[in-house]
Amino acid sequence: MSIITFDNAGKRFGSLDAVKDFSITIKDGEILGLLGPNGAGKTTLMLMMGTVYRPTSGTISVNGYDVVKHPNEVRKLIGIAFQDPRLDGILSAFDVLNWHLKMTTLFDKVERRRRVEDVLKSLDLWEARKKRTWLMSGGMKKKVEDAKILVQRPSIAVFDEPTAFLDVPSRLLVWKMIRQLRDEGSTVIVATNMMDEAERLSERVAIVNKGKLVASETPEQLKGTVKGGEVLELTLNDGSEFKPGLLKEFPEVHDVKQQDNKIMVFLNSGTLLLPKIVDTLSSQGFKIESVRLKEVSLEDVFLTYTGQRLE
Amino acid sequence: MSSSPTLARDLSSPPLAKESSTRLVFQMALRDVSVLFRTPWIIITRSLAFVIQLFVFAFLISGLIHVPGLNFFQYYAVGSVVATIASISFVIGYDIFEEAEEGVLDYLLTLPISRRQFIIGRALGGALRAIIYIIPMFLVVALIEGFAQPLSIISALLSLFLLAFGVTGMSITVAVSVKSANRFDVVLALLELAVSRASTALYPITFMPLYVSVFAPFSPVSFAADSARASLVGFTLDLPAIAGLIAFVVVFLGLGAAFYFRRLEGGIYS
Repeated sequence: MSIITFDNAGKRFGSLDAVKDFSITIKDGEILGLLGPNGAGKTTLMLMMGTVYRPTSGTISVNGYDVVKHPNEVRKLIGIAFQDPRLDGILSAFDVLNWHLKMTTLFDKVERRRRVEDVLKSLDLWEARKKRTWLMSGGMKKKVEDAKILVQRPSIAVFDEPTAFLDVPSRLLVWKMIRQLRDEGSTVIVATNMMDEAERLSERVAIVNKGKLVASETPEQLKGTVKGGEVLELTLNDGSEFKPGLLKEFPEVHDVKQQDNKIMVFLNSGTLLLPKIVDTLSSQGFKIESVRLKEVSLEDVFLTYTGQRLE
Repeated sequence: MSSSPTLARDLSSPPLAKESSTRLVFQMALRDVSVLFRTPWIIITRSLAFVIQLFVFAFLISGLIHVPGLNFFQYYAVGSVVATIASISFVIGYDIFEEAEEGVLDYLLTLPISRRQFIIGRALGGALRAIIYIIPMFLVVALIEGFAQPLSIISALLSLFLLAFGVTGMSITVAVSVKSANRFDVVLALLELAVSRASTALYPITFMPLYVSVFAPFSPVSFAADSARASLVGFTLDLPAIAGLIAFVVVFLGLGAAFYFRRLEGGIYS
């Protein structure tokens, strides 16, 4: 059952189309990863869904409510954790979360305190609960921002780059808490430009580039769309003379992409083909600095669909 | 690091903030008021500055000005409180503009409160903050004026509150209509200057040059100053002034909401 529908939604700022003809259906109870580079339109999509921006074309409905016609109903369902923490600097972490709960729920003081305490302790912020947020480090602020949604437990939880600025243990913990949120019945949308986050957290990944939806499938299905199943990464000392046709002569090679001096060869039987490719390039005078053979990743999928690297 | 919380047991369907618009407006207002209490030194230092201004500057000037039937010291005392509350009420616009620049406004706009309630809550918060801020100064002035009865105090405070409510609405209107920070500063400073200086707060209309006296009777600050004086000195209600203040509130809260809908949701700050 779908809970959110973007139907040819668009947002134009002046002459710039931040989002254009965007259509997707998000299922109730899934974790959807919005994967795209900075400036792809991910945040604009979320702010339109959260009724902060009005779409300039198309429609967006949340649980059957049109975001323009029934914004108040939509806001009751959604909680958004922003990429850059949006905190009242003069307030402490405890007060920020407590006030957020006052605004978004009808919990009494005891329940609010219990929730805030649980989440702050889990995020290792309990000792710093009275510290004004403007005095906190970037990582601590980010955890407080995520904690707003983790205490609220909304029907639709939106996280914009939830683990930016976080160390590895904290990232793993936040991912675990987001999954727990989904297990309790929330629909979760995670915008990210980190491949591993999209791959490890999302049940479905929507690739967004230049305000448009490029592809939307499970991570495995997306990888399956890349022909060959293996990727050979070659780094040349000078890629200016390289021509992809040189390697496309091999029947096992399905596609070749180049970015500066980095060559990505999408192929199968890579172990057998590797020496032949190296010989071919060496015979043409190219000096190979490094070679890496790997399975297709989301990064390769992104490159295939958009022609550019994400990171 | 401690383990993740076991929240699942009773959190699957959190109660939503529905049918509680008054509560949400009140919470939004309290957020602005709480900022004041987190910086109490501002109230203390400003109150001290006010006392010095009153008992040094106003006292000296009133010795130089002799107008039959007018105690200029008393006149100035009430007016300076009114001018102060107008000035403080403009601060909410700076807060909103700063929040917009820092992105906090985006967060506030995702909360389950309607835009109209949001504007009313912010204006109410700004007005309450201004009233709390000037209460120490107001009490000093009320004693100077020798107020007739407790109702005089309530009546005068009502006028001040209406002024503060309207000015915060005006300030919010400017905050959501002007994109450039420099332009915002200039517009707000000019507005503050116009409504406070071209008014009867600090000097009687009979002493004003014609080009000021034409506008001064219509300044909301004049309405509040005249009404507060009428209440404190002899306890009479200046109904036309109060009506003017109510109109001021309605117009600028309405404008704030209208500008907000038209500009902010279109992505003015993006």
